[in-house]
Amino acid sequence: MKMEAMSLSGLDNTKLEALAHDIYSDLVEDACLGLCFEVHRAVKQGYFFLDETDQDSMKDFEIVDQPGVDIFGQVYNQWKNKECVCPNCSRSIAASRFAPHLEKCLGMGRNSSRIANRRIASSNNMSKSESDQEDNDDINDNDWSYGSEKKAKKRKSDKNPNSPRRSKSLKHKNGELNNNVNTDPYKYNYNSGISYETLGPEELRSLLTTQCGVISEHTKKMCTRSLRCPQHTDEQRRTVRVFLPGPSASTLPDVDAVVESDGYDVSDGQALMNRLQWDGSSDISPSDSASSKASTNNSDSKKPKKKKKPSLGLSSSGTGGTGGGTGGGPGTAGSGSSSQGVLSLPSRKKKPKLPAPPTPSIYDDMN
Amino acid sequence: MSKDLQMRAAINQKLIEMGERERLKELLRAKLIECGWKDQLKAHCKDVIKEKGLEHVTVEDLVAEITPKGRALVPDSVKKELLQRIRAFLAQHSTL
Repeated sequence: MKMEAMSLSGLDNTKLEALAHDIYSDLVEDACLGLCFEVHRAVKQGYFFLDETDQDSMKDFEIVDQPGVDIFGQVYNQWKNKECVCPNCSRSIAASRFAPHLEKCLGMGRNSSRIANRRIASSNNMSKSESDQEDNDDINDNDWSYGSEKKAKKRKSDKNPNSPRRSKSLKHKNGELNNNVNTDPYKYNYNSGISYETLGPEELRSLLTTQCGVISEHTKKMCTRSLRCPQHTDEQRRTVRVFLPGPSASTLPDVDAVVESDGYDVSDGQALMNRLQWDGSSDISPSDSASSKASTNNSDSKKPKKKKKPSLGLSSSGTGGTGGGTGGGPGTAGSGSSSQGVLSLPSRKKKPKLPAPPTPSIYDDMN
Repeated sequence: MSKDLQMRAAINQKLIEMGERERLKELLRAKLIECGWKDQLKAHCKDVIKEKGLEHVTVEDLVAEITPKGRALVPDSVKKELLQRIRAFLAQHSTL
């Protein structure tokens, strides 16, 4: 019986089909019941309607479709034309210009200090007092003169042609600004404060001791970068110091001393320091230079600077052999030797004479 | 006739024993959710509940309202696929 019952071969297809449908119906009914139970439980537990928002909130957040407004109903350029009142100066400023204005007004931010320093420098130059070199040195990254390019352009009409404030923009725009520029060569009348004619000898000297000072052909202004500025060679610096009256004598005492004398501890020391500074070599530490004076190789080293490598070799007991390029080798002993060795370093600049005019003055103070 | 009944009972039993029924059930549920049948029916439920009042809804009410509609709303593709699988099962296991 079971075997018969199980066998479907006797069944025709309709019955089979009916059977299949019945099974299918049962399954669907099960699914429906499952849903009903689920919903009923949700209703009784109170979370059935949680996923819906109430009508009032729906209206609040409806999508807005008006012109000039985004879908949230906000106007996007609402603050564009508004004016704000500056808390500092109580002026009414346009919103888009407010941030830069505030930066300048409060004196904070990168540009404001630069501009302020420029103003100080130019006002100092105008009054022919010594300008604040150190500050400018720190802040000046470029080879600029004391007038600001932008301000100069705006004020061209305001200032008289000979005022010191005239353009640093002249620096790189020879052709364009000829009408405004004093075309006389070497008449360092241009503003940028670094016209040597406006500076007294003392100021000039101090300027040259701290700054590069090389006079630019284009703008006839003196370079305000540091003594080791890469744009100008020591040769140029030396030229300037020779060219301009007064300062050269005081600024490069060591150079003369080194060339002429064989050893002169003070000058050697200064020359050493000059060289150190000029070459920018890091090989010689301050302690070395300090101790150099006490070195025992003084006698050996006393040779004219002109000999670069050989002098190095002789000086500092041969450690300076490599110093030709590096500044006399590290730890060269003896001020004389080391200085000699160091002297040779500059050789790469063709002339043994050293640049670093300021150093002597600095070390003068130290000594 | 009793043979038919017996046969049916036997087949159902086999369906359950082999776990095929569960598989078919899961398959159907997944397909119904996928095609949106469940959401449709749920929306209908909401209407019924709002109509009858939230507090007084009973299971029987829901069942009576939902089941006929549910059966009608099943898409044809789902139905066909399920029938196909059932037939395959029957064909495979009917003769023992």
